Amino acid sequence: MKYISTVIESEYIIEILDEKHLSINGEVHTIDFEEVDGQPVFSLILDGKSYEAFVYFEEGEWKVMLHGTLYPVLVEDEREKRLRQAYGGGVTQTSEYHLKAPMPGMVVSIPVEEGQQINKGDALLILESMKMQNELRSPRSGKVTRIRVEPGDHVEKKQTLLSVE
Amino acid sequence: MFDKVLIANRGEIAVRIIRACRELGLKTVAVFSDVDRQALHVRFADEAYYLGSPPARESYLRGDRIIEIALKSGAGAIHPGYGFLAERADFAQACIDAGLAFIGPKPSAIAAMGDKAIARATVSAAGVPVVPGTAGEGALSNDELLAIAPTIGFPLLAKATAGGGGKGMREVRNIEEMPRLLNAARREAEAAFGDGNVYLEKLLEEARHIEFQILADNQGNVIHLGERECSLQRRHQKILEETPSPFIADDQEFRQQMGEVAVRAAKAVGYVNAGTIEFLVDKDKRYYFLEMNTRLQVEHPITEAVTNVDIVKEQIRIARGRSLNYTQEDISQHGWAIECRINAEDPYENFLPSTGRISHILLPTGPGVRVDTGVYPGFTISPYYDSLISKLIVHGKTRAEAILRMRRALEEYKITGVRTNIPFHQMLMNSHRFMAGQYDTRFIEDRFSFNSVNIDKSSDADIAAILATLVAHQQIQRSTHIIRRGKRDTSNWKWVGRWERMHR
Repeated sequence: MKYISTVIESEYIIEILDEKHLSINGEVHTIDFEEVDGQPVFSLILDGKSYEAFVYFEEGEWKVMLHGTLYPVLVEDEREKRLRQAYGGGVTQTSEYHLKAPMPGMVVSIPVEEGQQINKGDALLILESMKMQNELRSPRSGKVTRIRVEPGDHVEKKQTLLSVE
Repeated sequence: MFDKVLIANRGEIAVRIIRACRELGLKTVAVFSDVDRQALHVRFADEAYYLGSPPARESYLRGDRIIEIALKSGAGAIHPGYGFLAERADFAQACIDAGLAFIGPKPSAIAAMGDKAIARATVSAAGVPVVPGTAGEGALSNDELLAIAPTIGFPLLAKATAGGGGKGMREVRNIEEMPRLLNAARREAEAAFGDGNVYLEKLLEEARHIEFQILADNQGNVIHLGERECSLQRRHQKILEETPSPFIADDQEFRQQMGEVAVRAAKAVGYVNAGTIEFLVDKDKRYYFLEMNTRLQVEHPITEAVTNVDIVKEQIRIARGRSLNYTQEDISQHGWAIECRINAEDPYENFLPSTGRISHILLPTGPGVRVDTGVYPGFTISPYYDSLISKLIVHGKTRAEAILRMRRALEEYKITGVRTNIPFHQMLMNSHRFMAGQYDTRFIEDRFSFNSVNIDKSSDADIAAILATLVAHQQIQRSTHIIRRGKRDTSNWKWVGRWERMHR
């Protein structure tokens, strides 16, 4: 199986040859790869060098926590990559974004109003949890469409708080 | 003399206190809220009693119920830990009134140090320098503040009287911009605390936050156990502490001088038991009294590591009316200790608290490593209490050894199920300024950007790519075998349901 894996700007062509071998950009390496029982922790021995990392999938890409650094990795096969490039690579921005509570807590304040134009990175809502006030910011620019909560409300994890169009 | 202690707290500090009691042969009583029935402090204690529902005001802040439980269980003393009821003079008094020993200072000392005006007046009367400003002078108008400002000198800070956490705070560089900034600070304070009063404080540039640990017994002996450097803070929350302070380093005379001043400040309020005097120190080694914490501190283990004094055991000894085990001459610092506060928060998501079930923990061990924690695999982190889940403390011969040891301990430490700030600490340990000991209280916010990781320079990007690809490959392989019996990723019932729907 051949994959094209992208870390930030760097592209690696990785081919899984068999259980014990893979090639990266044409160079063949010996691998010994294991999942540490029941955890998202993986152990890799690559040509005798031992690595351990957290690997998990989030928001459309793989996250690899290795030696205290978090690497975002996009893993695609050739067909997926071609498809992505054909669509210009960009994620379409037409659909609504729903701000969801990342944890249970209490809404302290909502610094925006319905219909307000906002920029990426603007604070949308202040949520208090674990005795800390947390600013939830907008991942994109747009217009606040619907605010579903009020200051003082207790919200559950993943509850939709407001939407941005 | 008591032989059973009730611990009016939860989490790692309750566990820490239970351990000290156990080693002293004292029985322990835990209290718990609904979400803490399976917490470690409940599992470790000899007795445990239910307090109330999860919010602190219905459980760990219910002083009346806690005293009732102490009396019912036959505990002769209450240890408040930190937070919750630890610095409440009325609770300390209620314990005494109920005939219980309060393992902490006298209510009068808690009250005196808890009131900014009284604390500043008391310690300055004892000859201890305080940060110039109007703290504790009551509600002053803009006109009054504008008149006082030049006597303090610029730059200065306008701070919310009711405040904390940096809200209602403004930096004022000159008199012209002052009215505007005062109004902004008042508005913010009003919105955050319902009290628009502000006070002025001289802004110390490149200031460090250095504190001294105090122990005082009922016989009038007061000693200090040296300093702790606590300048590394994020949103005014300490995140990493070390001792000795790299700023004081081997200036023994300066250390001794500050220590003596700290002892004097404690004596000024007739202090008994363990406490901490916090100072702000500027780049010219001028130091000012900030406040006194009239309780056990989160970061006490680093002092224990370098002085070999068990602070919690000394607290209990003092509360039993005995004199201190040590004189000032007995105390010296050996080696270097660092503590990293491990919080359930996601450094990649603006340090948002992370809740949920801890699925796995691999603890760092080996020489010079101590972990104080209140959680274990299977325990659920709830949103009701603070996010501190453990404290990782290392001790080395030198600062360099301590840093290298902390690096390897952080690398060993694995917690899954909730996100933690371990990667943040790892990056801090690699920062050149931290390694050089060159940091002040604003370092993390002004000069240390967690998101600006330069991945290009790292040679591990290829390894990360391989790991992600192997995991992705493994998943694809598995999903193609999904029909194989017992290998399905969903339950059989769900699978049958889907199969039926498909064939409807």
